[in-house]
Amino acid sequence: MKWLDRLEEMFITLLIAAATLVIFAAVVHRYVSGLPLGAVQDALLKIHMNWAQELCIILFVWMAKFGAAYGVRQGIHVGVDVLVNRLAPANRRIMTIVALSAGVLFTGIVAVLGARMVWENGLAYAALTGLGMDTGSHYEGPTTPDLEWPTWAVYMAVPLGSSLMCFRFLQVLVNFIRTGDLPHHDHGHVAGLDEPEPFPVVEQKP
Amino acid sequence: MSALIIFTLLLLLMLTGMPISIALGLTVLTFLFTMTSVPIEAVALKLFTGIEKFEIMAIPFFILAGNFLTHGGVAKRMIHFASSMVGHWYGGLGLAGVLACALFAAVSGSSPATVVAIGSILLPAMVKAGFPKSFGAGVITTSGGLGILIPPSIVMVMYAVATNSSVGALFMAGVIPGLLLAGFLGFTTWFRARKYDYPRQPKADFTVRLKAFRDSVWGLLLIVVVMGGIYTGIFTPTEAAAMSAVYAFVVAVFVYKDMGLKDVPKVLLNSASMSAMLLYIITNAVMFSFIMTNEQIPQALAEWMLAQGMGPIVFLLAVNVLLLAAGNFMEPSSITLIFAPILFPMAIKLGIDPIHFGILMVVNMEVGMCHPPVGLNLYVASGITKMGITELTVAVWPWLLTMLVFLALVTYWPAMSLWLPRAMGMM
Repeated sequence: MKWLDRLEEMFITLLIAAATLVIFAAVVHRYVSGLPLGAVQDALLKIHMNWAQELCIILFVWMAKFGAAYGVRQGIHVGVDVLVNRLAPANRRIMTIVALSAGVLFTGIVAVLGARMVWENGLAYAALTGLGMDTGSHYEGPTTPDLEWPTWAVYMAVPLGSSLMCFRFLQVLVNFIRTGDLPHHDHGHVAGLDEPEPFPVVEQKP
Repeated sequence: MSALIIFTLLLLLMLTGMPISIALGLTVLTFLFTMTSVPIEAVALKLFTGIEKFEIMAIPFFILAGNFLTHGGVAKRMIHFASSMVGHWYGGLGLAGVLACALFAAVSGSSPATVVAIGSILLPAMVKAGFPKSFGAGVITTSGGLGILIPPSIVMVMYAVATNSSVGALFMAGVIPGLLLAGFLGFTTWFRARKYDYPRQPKADFTVRLKAFRDSVWGLLLIVVVMGGIYTGIFTPTEAAAMSAVYAFVVAVFVYKDMGLKDVPKVLLNSASMSAMLLYIITNAVMFSFIMTNEQIPQALAEWMLAQGMGPIVFLLAVNVLLLAAGNFMEPSSITLIFAPILFPMAIKLGIDPIHFGILMVVNMEVGMCHPPVGLNLYVASGITKMGITELTVAVWPWLLTMLVFLALVTYWPAMSLWLPRAMGMM
């Protein structure tokens, strides 16, 4: 499963980088095309970047769905642990299993709901047309306003991401039952604190 | 009745320790499948469209910007700058801690990371200089929370999203309370240091100050990029966030050289996963508040409250008590996303300004981070100081009390938050 882990990591890394660059480019474009630069300005004005916001949203929605799955194996999703921490180890184990199963259940339901939604909103039409079959009562489905991409393709993020998340919850659950280990995310991690050079102060004479 | 069922269910699910996002989602699904006529499709649609707002996308960008600058090197520069400015007063290094925390927290956007970054560098130095450990721990734990009040603040973006308020106006409104709270915490530090005659540092001369300022100014300019860009109207808040992420990348890699290009993918990945976690809570919180609104719960609560003859003063007191209690169980973003949509309609009915209400909520979150049982700052501080939670709670109390006094001030003096955004014509 190493390949899936790597793929997932690379995918969300690229998505956040791409979204940042898209908005950066759009802002720079808007600013520069307002400058009096003659031919350059004319050329810039011909480029339209009004799709940037929409693309940014789509990139981040995909990042959110797959990043949430990655987060499960990083233990980044926080819960209320006040009560659980006070339980006896045996009961705590049961609670943790219940909590993880709830994760499996919810992400599973969302994956199914999402898949049905996507299927009915254009995937069915696209698939059946692609196979040269009768589309029946299925319709083509809407497109996004600026990029005019089919929404079912954009919304595929929900069933795909949620299925992966469901799988990750199952992995964590199985691992917990076997070894009793849970992934734990350190919210206070800061890089570059291990240098030996201390902060210089004037020491007080005793 | 349905309100009672929804909340009981949510509470029960949350107490199992499952992620808050999952608890919210399951509550919505259970409610949908068992006792309402809302078509499931309407809610499924929310799964897709819940986070499809450009304003929300400021969150990943701010997290990215913060992560580029969440580095020991940046913390060190800010501590140098802070201690060269205020180190010669009573409680010198402690005051420097408050200032450095305020600056670093504003830039990094993460309270626990601020406590760790500033604390790991400054606390050993303070102990060496002759301060008791508990004094330093108290200062850093509480000042680390300043970041969610001083813009850019992710919690404020969440409030803005949950209530359809203006991000720009909220950021502007946070400036004065943020500085004032830093001043309050600084005063408590100074007062106690003078009382117990804690050591001071020699006064730094002008050239030292200038150098320290020049070193730290690159990080601080991030705040200027965001606030200046939003105020002058060059960027929308989300664009400002994206620009600040690019700016932070350039500063971290090419100016400070704290990290190389090879470290960038790691920062991107960490930011993506942190953002995804928050966006996941938002998605589910949006579904939750959709159900609430659909069942007319906030409206019913608002009417009940008016029928009781509750005025703004009692209401705000109740809100503070409620939020402080919630701060015992949950972290700031979840509290904001769950409570803001419920409390907001009531606040509006009573004529409370939405921006003022937002600042009030944020200050509440800040107090919640510094006290047991779940104050995240307290836990990370306990990690770096090797002090127990109980011991730390005792260490923190003078500053915690200061924060509570400040909270009362914020609650009943709206002008403190509203003056600046009004003067700048943002509301």
